[in-house]
Amino acid sequence: MTPVSSLEQARELLGEFPVVDGHNDLPWALREQVRYDLAARDIAVHQNAHLHTDIPRLREGGVGAQYWSVYVRSDLPDAVPATLEQIDCVRQLLARHPAELAPVLTAADMEAARREGRIASLMGAEGGHSIANSLGTLRGLYALGVRYMTLTHNDNNDWADSATDEPNVGGLSAFGREVVREMNRLGMLVDLSHVAVTTMRDALDATSAPVIFSHSSSRAVCDHPRNIPDDVLERLPGNGGMAMVTFVPKFVLQAAVDWTAAADENMRAHGLHHLDTSPEAMKIHRAFEERNPRPVATVSTVADHLDHMREVAGVDHLGIGGDYDGTAFTPDGLNDVSGYPNLIAELLDRGWSRSDLAKLTWQNAVRVLGAAEDVARELQGTRGPSNATIGELDG
Amino acid sequence: MADLQHDLDTTTEVGGLDGLPDPFETAEPYTPVSDPDGAPLERAHAILAAHPVADGYSGLPWALRHLPWYDLELGESSVDTDVPRLREGHVGALFWSLHLPEGLAGDRAVGATMEQLDLVKTVVHAHPEGLRLAGAAGQVTDARNCGRIAVLLGPAGAAALGDSLGILRSLHSLGLRVLTLTGASWASEAGLTRFGEEVVREMNRLGVLADLSGASADTVRRAFAVSKAPVLFTRSAARALRPHPANLPDDLLAELGAARGLCMVPLTAEQAGPSVRDVADHLDHVREIAGPECVGLSGTYDAGSAHPQDLADASCYPLLIAELLHRGWSEPDLALLTWGNVQRVLRNADFTARAAQQRREPSTAKIADLDG
Repeated sequence: MTPVSSLEQARELLGEFPVVDGHNDLPWALREQVRYDLAARDIAVHQNAHLHTDIPRLREGGVGAQYWSVYVRSDLPDAVPATLEQIDCVRQLLARHPAELAPVLTAADMEAARREGRIASLMGAEGGHSIANSLGTLRGLYALGVRYMTLTHNDNNDWADSATDEPNVGGLSAFGREVVREMNRLGMLVDLSHVAVTTMRDALDATSAPVIFSHSSSRAVCDHPRNIPDDVLERLPGNGGMAMVTFVPKFVLQAAVDWTAAADENMRAHGLHHLDTSPEAMKIHRAFEERNPRPVATVSTVADHLDHMREVAGVDHLGIGGDYDGTAFTPDGLNDVSGYPNLIAELLDRGWSRSDLAKLTWQNAVRVLGAAEDVARELQGTRGPSNATIGELDG
Repeated sequence: MADLQHDLDTTTEVGGLDGLPDPFETAEPYTPVSDPDGAPLERAHAILAAHPVADGYSGLPWALRHLPWYDLELGESSVDTDVPRLREGHVGALFWSLHLPEGLAGDRAVGATMEQLDLVKTVVHAHPEGLRLAGAAGQVTDARNCGRIAVLLGPAGAAALGDSLGILRSLHSLGLRVLTLTGASWASEAGLTRFGEEVVREMNRLGVLADLSGASADTVRRAFAVSKAPVLFTRSAARALRPHPANLPDDLLAELGAARGLCMVPLTAEQAGPSVRDVADHLDHVREIAGPECVGLSGTYDAGSAHPQDLADASCYPLLIAELLHRGWSEPDLALLTWGNVQRVLRNADFTARAAQQRREPSTAKIADLDG
């Protein structure tokens, strides 16, 4: 089979079972680049110069559903107000492009959008800091349409440990477990990307609904704290949830992990913070990059993760979460949201069946959201909203 | 479902009415509902049964926040408001204040307002026989037709916006209907800033009513000029009778009348006086200066204020209406006072919003650009 024909096959398959992508940071990019002046980045037309994402490329990429991230920084105060602005941004995008983007709150809505040929648009909050330790605020986010919340971002919060911070509460605190229970009651998916392994395990113990990893890959394939270890992947069949593989080179390619660590070390050696993007810092970084060419991930790198994750978690527990517009670099062949067919073609070449691929792209994600809704309906029959406070539970 | 799609709803024909007489200003012929020879209190009950009170301010949300347990349907003695007393008082609609105690600002004001909105929804859902959430004017009427007391969300303080129109839109999506224009850099003693004016325009576009009780005279006048929808004073009496900073001087009352706004007189001893007759004096005065279409009632129960004698809780409205009958208020004027004026303002705000949505995109203005 020639590569061209697998690509054609991939496109045909995506026509029927389009991609549900777990994480896209377009709202944050619009906030940072044009302060939500949506006319200045009209996604109805190509925005290749500025963004990974626009409607023509989503169409080209065979995307049928997108969780738009309403991410806000975890190292600044005012997370709640900023999150409301991010949500407003998504709602305005939907209002501006009603023929292309469908507002979606349920699994049934996802299927309806697929039938209509519109891109199902859901929202995910990226980090428990967005609720400021308040279950009332969590319910407010749900009421506004947020359908998953990542328990942490890069920093710990008061009730959950992050994968990229020092251990604090050792996973989830008592209040953290109550947050998970309330998310279950609402039907908001618990997202375990970004969290510490201890938090993953605590959340899997506490949840009564399927969990997701909205954008994480395999730690056995590439050793990075943002990825999922095998013992956690092995728990997904029992839980019913799914891991949505991410493409971010510095998480999926070991050479890129090592290169990033060396680059960060180089910045620190010059007395700078490793995320500093001032002109002086960028100059030092460019000099480093000239001496040490940046390793490039490919479609095959991502497919290696999926092969392994399929083996460990099973094909019913996989999905895709590209993290477009949330990462500076992307793999060759997956350069922007138009690239998904290349990944599907690669998997076809590796012998993945059509039914496996339909699960990967569409069916698993719809099943998981629907299952969370079922659990919520059941729980709402047995208990009311929780008004627990972090002060009461964590002292 | 409806939540996300709300903004997509449009009514195409409303813009076509521009320049025609305002349909909400055309008075319907009034059919009397009480026996003119009956005792005032009996007549008051009959009038209120047909034209219940739309009460402009209840402090219940913050009061309930600190109660471990309550039952508003059975009766709740630890607050001044519960369903039996609301029914006894013929209250048909109630604005539930989301105001926060002093000192909650910035991140905490936005989050705390979200919590207040959540709390009100939880309380209303827990008392489905008595209460129903209402947003648009039509939903208030629906609630009444179903024998439920309509709960409207607001007023919230201006700090709840976190100086952002995106947050205003998100809070509106969560049901916010009234915003008080005090306590923000853009709505201060110095009046409305350019950003403040943009907030008012965006509120008009969304259908969020402006509450000006406690606002400076400059803010009030600017809001009269900028707002295309009628404005409210959810807790203001007549300053000519009682010098309280939130009470309105006669010149502003006259301007309010010209702007077709609504002054809702609070039943508090501090602002109106210690007796039913004091409250009636204020209502007489506001009606005389602003006009019978521009006066309303605001119980202000559970907000920490002392109330006039005989007006201790939400059940006492018939006494007040009897006093007004005694003073010669006509039935049509009483019907406007209790229910009609609030309905007019709500309908007009809905109408203004639909028309504005045809003309204006959501505002992308930033406070730093306009006021910087």
